Amino acid sequence: MTASSTSLSAPVTRLPRRGAGTRSGATPAVRSSLRARDKSGYLFVAPFAVATGLFLLWPTIYGLWMSFTDQSLTATGSSFIGIDNYVEAFSDPQVWQTLLHTVWFTVLSTVPLIIVALLMALLVHTGLPGQWVWRMSFFAPFLLTSAVVSSLASWLFQPEIGLLDVWIAKLGLGPVGWLTDENVAMFSIALVTVWWTVGFNFLLYLAALQGIPQQLYEAATIDGAGGWRRLFSITLPQLKTITGVIVVLQLLASLKVFDQIYLLTAGGPNGSTRPILEYVYDTGFTNYRLGYASAISYVFFALILVFTLVRLLPTKKEA
Amino acid sequence: MAVTESVSTIVATRRSTAQQTRAENRTLTKLTIGPSPWVRAGALAALVVLAALWLLPLLWGAVTSFKHEAEAALPASWWPTQGWTLDAYRQVLGNSELLGWMWNSLVVAVLVTALTVLISAMAAFAFSQTLFKGRSLLQFLTVASIMMPGQILIVPLFKQMQAMGLVDTFAGIVLPQVVAPVMVFILKRFFDAIPGELLDAARIDGAGTWRLFWTIVLPLSKSILVAVAIFVFIGAWNNFLWPFIVTTDPQFMTLPVGLSTVKNAYGVQYAQNMASAMIAALPLLVVFMLFQRRIVQGVATTGMGGQ
Amino acid sequence: MQTSHRTSGGMSGSWPRRAPDRYPRRAGTGGAADDVPRMSRRGLLQAALVGAGGIALGGALSGCATPAASGSGRTSVMVWDLFSGGDGALMQKMVGAVAAANSDIAVDSTTLAWGAPYYTKLAMASSGGRPPEAAVMHMSRLAGYAPGGLLEPFDLDALADLGVTQDDFAPAVWEKAQFDGQLYALPLDTHPYIAFNNPEIAGQAGLLDADGKLALAPGADAFLDAGRAMAEVTGETGVSWGYLRDTAGCWRMFWGLYNQNGGGYDLTPGKPAELDEQAAAEVFEFLQAMVDGKVAAKNQDGGAASGRFMSQRTGLMFSGEWDLPMFQGALPDVGATPFPAIFDTPANYADSHSFVLPRQAHADPAKREATYRVLAGLLKEGLTWASAGHIPAYQPVVQTPEYQELTPQRDYAPAAEIAVFDPDAWFTGGGSDFQTRMGDAMTDTLSGEASPQTAVDRMLSEMNRFLSQPSPA
Repeated sequence: MTASSTSLSAPVTRLPRRGAGTRSGATPAVRSSLRARDKSGYLFVAPFAVATGLFLLWPTIYGLWMSFTDQSLTATGSSFIGIDNYVEAFSDPQVWQTLLHTVWFTVLSTVPLIIVALLMALLVHTGLPGQWVWRMSFFAPFLLTSAVVSSLASWLFQPEIGLLDVWIAKLGLGPVGWLTDENVAMFSIALVTVWWTVGFNFLLYLAALQGIPQQLYEAATIDGAGGWRRLFSITLPQLKTITGVIVVLQLLASLKVFDQIYLLTAGGPNGSTRPILEYVYDTGFTNYRLGYASAISYVFFALILVFTLVRLLPTKKEA
Repeated sequence: MAVTESVSTIVATRRSTAQQTRAENRTLTKLTIGPSPWVRAGALAALVVLAALWLLPLLWGAVTSFKHEAEAALPASWWPTQGWTLDAYRQVLGNSELLGWMWNSLVVAVLVTALTVLISAMAAFAFSQTLFKGRSLLQFLTVASIMMPGQILIVPLFKQMQAMGLVDTFAGIVLPQVVAPVMVFILKRFFDAIPGELLDAARIDGAGTWRLFWTIVLPLSKSILVAVAIFVFIGAWNNFLWPFIVTTDPQFMTLPVGLSTVKNAYGVQYAQNMASAMIAALPLLVVFMLFQRRIVQGVATTGMGGQ
Repeated sequence: MQTSHRTSGGMSGSWPRRAPDRYPRRAGTGGAADDVPRMSRRGLLQAALVGAGGIALGGALSGCATPAASGSGRTSVMVWDLFSGGDGALMQKMVGAVAAANSDIAVDSTTLAWGAPYYTKLAMASSGGRPPEAAVMHMSRLAGYAPGGLLEPFDLDALADLGVTQDDFAPAVWEKAQFDGQLYALPLDTHPYIAFNNPEIAGQAGLLDADGKLALAPGADAFLDAGRAMAEVTGETGVSWGYLRDTAGCWRMFWGLYNQNGGGYDLTPGKPAELDEQAAAEVFEFLQAMVDGKVAAKNQDGGAASGRFMSQRTGLMFSGEWDLPMFQGALPDVGATPFPAIFDTPANYADSHSFVLPRQAHADPAKREATYRVLAGLLKEGLTWASAGHIPAYQPVVQTPEYQELTPQRDYAPAAEIAVFDPDAWFTGGGSDFQTRMGDAMTDTLSGEASPQTAVDRMLSEMNRFLSQPSPA
């Protein structure tokens, strides 16, 4: 290992950009002035471009075209039907209901996913012993696949013999239909999701906390500020940026929920937890209506796009 | 301003590793929650409770998996009165295609990782260190495609795989997952930081672009490449939706899909279900144990940004 | 695409989204020249890895997994089923018997999750994947599947060569298996929704006849009285019916009772759905009266209901006959009868499992011939299947003395004669979304939170919704 390779492969630091940061990156190292002007660039970018074209761009266009047809999963042919699918989608109560479920899920899960993650990070950032135990406990669930998470959660929620019902019985309360009661199911799903994914946000917060310069705290202590005061006046304001990032990431990820709801309740009970992506799946693959399912997908895509652009606009103005 | 920044750089660099020394921890504790032992105890208690809660589902699943099937169906108890047993594991490993699915997952994850890292690095290199007509346009398209949620493409992609004859094939599972504009973006920014003089020197020495890529840029980017590879691997291993859509033959299912689609022909077996879950959870947990530092660093590194 | 739970944009959705903020600083000068020789070795290693990956990819791209069997020269036949209940084990046994009898065929079966997921996967496989050579399908689903070209018709001559002809089946069942003048489904069984009873409890409640079989007086009131009598005996409830989280069970119960009450239907696309609302409301009134906490428990799901019946805390259990093995395991002398006559018209809800041939992308005559042999073999293993509780559709098995000796199967075998199936429409059938929605529409009414009319209204509105959708086939 030569000196240069060691320093260049050092782990990258994690300070949040403050103030003077530019969008495209920090003070860049000087670009090579002899950048190749030959065709090699095409060769290098070709595999990615081909893959993207084949498996991202083409399906996008094809899907859009499909949404104007009545294509079916079965072997029958398809015909162009104009905007009929979109008209149907806008007047289909299931589209709006499942969209509502998705939004409700997003709200239900995002709030705790931020607060609990912050709490965990603050607690771990105190430097108390057992650091690797905390890190592992909070982050390990994140590495599980949705099938395992759903399996474990179903078992916990099992009526009468599941751990939760047994504990509740010990407290003298009646059994709860965790996944079978319409009023409870979505909360249960949100709970599972929080357990599953909070580790990611936790690590982000932890890194952000580690980036807060210690001398800020030292100065505040000298000035006589107590622990809570330090928390509210120094720590939390410093976390504003990362919180913004986490919130946006979280919202976008939650809107696209499918796995755990499909696996835990299959959209039930009584269709009360069905997210819009599952409706797309049911429509296209269970009921064979691929064209219509495509239209619903694109309506959903448009909504996400609007949301993403709305988020991007303010930051564009800043830069 | 500059002084503050350079001081904070020093401080941050010092604490850039995931592990901190004991002394640093003690200082940190004093700085954050103060010297009071009561507060300290309270915070520690909170941590213990939270950690216990978070470990609970996995622990409970593990305990159940070691019970006899008849006992597992009784109302929950931590200690099995009928004794521990490996029956559930024996059944699961002997009867089902679990190991086959694991193998499929491994093949898929390895292929996805290798291909994604390779083509993303190549594309990132092209964007960063070469000039060609249309480069800006392609870059813009790459960034734009980050906004594209893959989930909405399941319908056209399925039809496409159908047409290409790739349903129920490894290629069908792997190829759509290889497109990772986010990784390209991340790698490009990393490549941008490679000092120009180094590359200039190599070029002057007569190195062609290809050689430049292989012998200089890639080795220098080892850490980020490893981080990217780990994340892509984890994502590919855990991916449910796309393999679920594109595989119908249980022989080709990956682990998450097989677990949830193929049901035990013998009715609901709780201990066996948990044994399957434990077996499925194990590989990535092992990966986590091995690469804990890199994973934690990587999340932090790539999760924060200048936006 | 990677669609992990932290999906960021794009197809590959692994977590990291943001670029590193700080860039690595290069410490000293020098080293580029030193690096080159070592890097090139590394470069070679990397190139080798890529090459190996490419070769693996090439192998993967060819897309064909070679099933172990073809290596050994045997024809492989895969059969899909959705039997995850007590009968799943028996199907495996039958498959094993057929495999043993045909050593040149490697026959295997896979069980997929029951219901919509099964049929969805089957449709997707038939439409573009690698479908199994044969699959189990509820007869009631045929109307939705056959027209779409996802299935292939049976060759009657080939079947006849193996000893399977039209005469071997009950006419009603054979009729249901036809589409467009051809046979698309090979009936395996009829499986009605029946009532199991605990002879001890029923005896103490005075409900057994001279032969020790359950003899309920006809009529709703008589049934409720019997339920209460059994509740007296057990000290808890008398009847087990787990309707929570079991939309299919709710539908079966309703449709059977509705037909007993003489109800008809009209489900023609283009017209509003029609039901005999009075008759339907009466059915719900009866059901509400039944789940009053005395006759049957108010809120229980299938697992709890079975548990109660098997631990002798109830005397009667409504379930499909396929649960016979499970109940026999807990109560060796469990009794069973056709569904009690609550209303006036003899009717018993039933469906039928049948084998279908998914459309194959490449026709392989050897496989096809092997598949026929396997299916004919499975039909002839009907006796094993009967021990699962089902009534074999293949009459030669039913007429054997061994079958006639099976109790309690022969006690409820008459149910097949008064069987009523799901309404004829493309969206109905076992495991369909239709059954789920119908069940959903009833849940509030069954739990007492809504009136019977509410359930009827909801069901009609769902039916209209289905009717308004274009038939995909």
